Amino acid sequence: MLELKDLYFSITETDGTNGGRKRDIIDGLNFTFEPGKFYAITGPNGSGKTTLAKLIMGINPVSAGAIRFKGKDITGLTITERAKAGIAYSFQQPARFKGITFRDLLSMATGIEEEAKLLDLLRRVGICSLSFLDKAVDAKLSGGEIKKIELATTIARNPKLAIYDEPDTGIDLWTIGPMVNLLKREQTEHRTTTIVISHNRAFLKAADVVLMVNRGKFAYVGNLDGALPMLTDLSICNFKPCWEGEEDARCFR
Amino acid sequence: MLDALDKGLLKAVADLEDIPKGAYNIRKNGRLLSRATSANVNIESNAEGTGIMVTIAPGTVNESVHIPVILSQAGLYDVVYNAFIVGAASHVTIIAGCGIHCGGPAPEGHEGIHEFRVGKGARVKYVEKHYATGPGSGERTLNPTTKVFLAENAQVEMELTQIGGVDDANRLNEATLGPGSMLLITERVMTDGDQKAVSRNEIVLAGDNSRSNMVSRSVIKGNSRQNFYATMVARAKCFGHIECDAIIMDNGANETIPALKAEHPDAELSHEASIGKIAGDQLTKLMSLGLTYEEAVNRIIQGFLR
Repeated sequence: MLELKDLYFSITETDGTNGGRKRDIIDGLNFTFEPGKFYAITGPNGSGKTTLAKLIMGINPVSAGAIRFKGKDITGLTITERAKAGIAYSFQQPARFKGITFRDLLSMATGIEEEAKLLDLLRRVGICSLSFLDKAVDAKLSGGEIKKIELATTIARNPKLAIYDEPDTGIDLWTIGPMVNLLKREQTEHRTTTIVISHNRAFLKAADVVLMVNRGKFAYVGNLDGALPMLTDLSICNFKPCWEGEEDARCFR
Repeated sequence: MLDALDKGLLKAVADLEDIPKGAYNIRKNGRLLSRATSANVNIESNAEGTGIMVTIAPGTVNESVHIPVILSQAGLYDVVYNAFIVGAASHVTIIAGCGIHCGGPAPEGHEGIHEFRVGKGARVKYVEKHYATGPGSGERTLNPTTKVFLAENAQVEMELTQIGGVDDANRLNEATLGPGSMLLITERVMTDGDQKAVSRNEIVLAGDNSRSNMVSRSVIKGNSRQNFYATMVARAKCFGHIECDAIIMDNGANETIPALKAEHPDAELSHEASIGKIAGDQLTKLMSLGLTYEEAVNRIIQGFLR
């Protein structure tokens, strides 16, 4: 379905004295995502989860290696071409516009403008309030509202591969359960290959496979039970590299 | 009476497919083309013959007045003084606008000076669109002036739009607000090529509990330039806000200066201003929905100017 081959994303860090120093944010990943499965990607802050997701969507350029989607090399494709190939992406911090409504985004995502079909879509993503359709997707929306809109526009694409970057950020505790169920339903009913980046145990539990990223590599691939020892292990705290030489720094994990 | 060209211009500036219903005054190439009045709305030429006087009777509800101007005569610079007396407690929509069709190398222009006296408790929606087109190379100039006086508890909403094709625009908006009155202005201007547009706004909040919100949206393409100046002067306990956003594309240039002047201790004034390119996260989002880069830019601009 989706193959990562020797995948690298590198940046050049400038540290004043030595000039540039190359750092691999994604450090030689090899992995194959199976069609129709639900993957949860977790790992410490700054470990490379979002960077990896952006490489798959084409938002970040690949430094080395390749990405294959449904047997085709998509490494050189644009975001638009990947979207048209069937990949959809839910942003961790969704864009806010001026003068663009939820209805506009749904129409752009689907090409559908008929009210009845848009209402079907709302029902599918579990939004009951019809007035929501004409909400402006602007700075006035709450964090939770904009995340629901983001999720809906992703599902509306009917993607073969859906990537959700921390869909539960800003979502209240009562909504997380239904949100997990929604993504599971999309997986089973539409055979959507699903990748969710999350720290939330509800998503990790729902996943067929848990991938733990640490310093740009997969530190663990398997079920949640097998991941538990690592999730509680302080040694993968990525605060460590930065406190060397700093006496007052402590790891609070 | 209206040829295809006139109809095209009327559609662009006043959303009119043909002669409108209700009261209207259509001015073509500096002269009256057609006029109709209604029981509550009177339109007559002013004493000097330099424009029209529109009188709306007190208590007139849900009526509209169309006063478009169309220009297609080379070398003409048309200046017009229009006055609007809006009676107390009336509720009307006034649709103005100027369309220029330039067919040759000679310049064409229109200068419309509109003065509104809005009576107590009256509600006015004023829509003004400016548009220029045509294959000619002559400079198309539009210099509108709008002066508004709001009596107690009057409400005025103004939508001022310059859609495209205007080479040079100098806009002046002045308003004085009485007690409890409210003025909302939304100005949208798009320029391209070597076009220039300047908008000057002076809003005086003179009465207690008067409120005003001025929103300016500018899109500056090509080598065009837009300058936006807005001043809100508070002379009473009042609320005023200025919001001005400019999107720069290509080599566009923009100067935005919002100014607030409080001459009363209970004045509440604020402003926000921003100038920049289209936000990268907006483009990325729309491209992730399958739009190309160009389609994404168009949709974002359309929304911004909506």
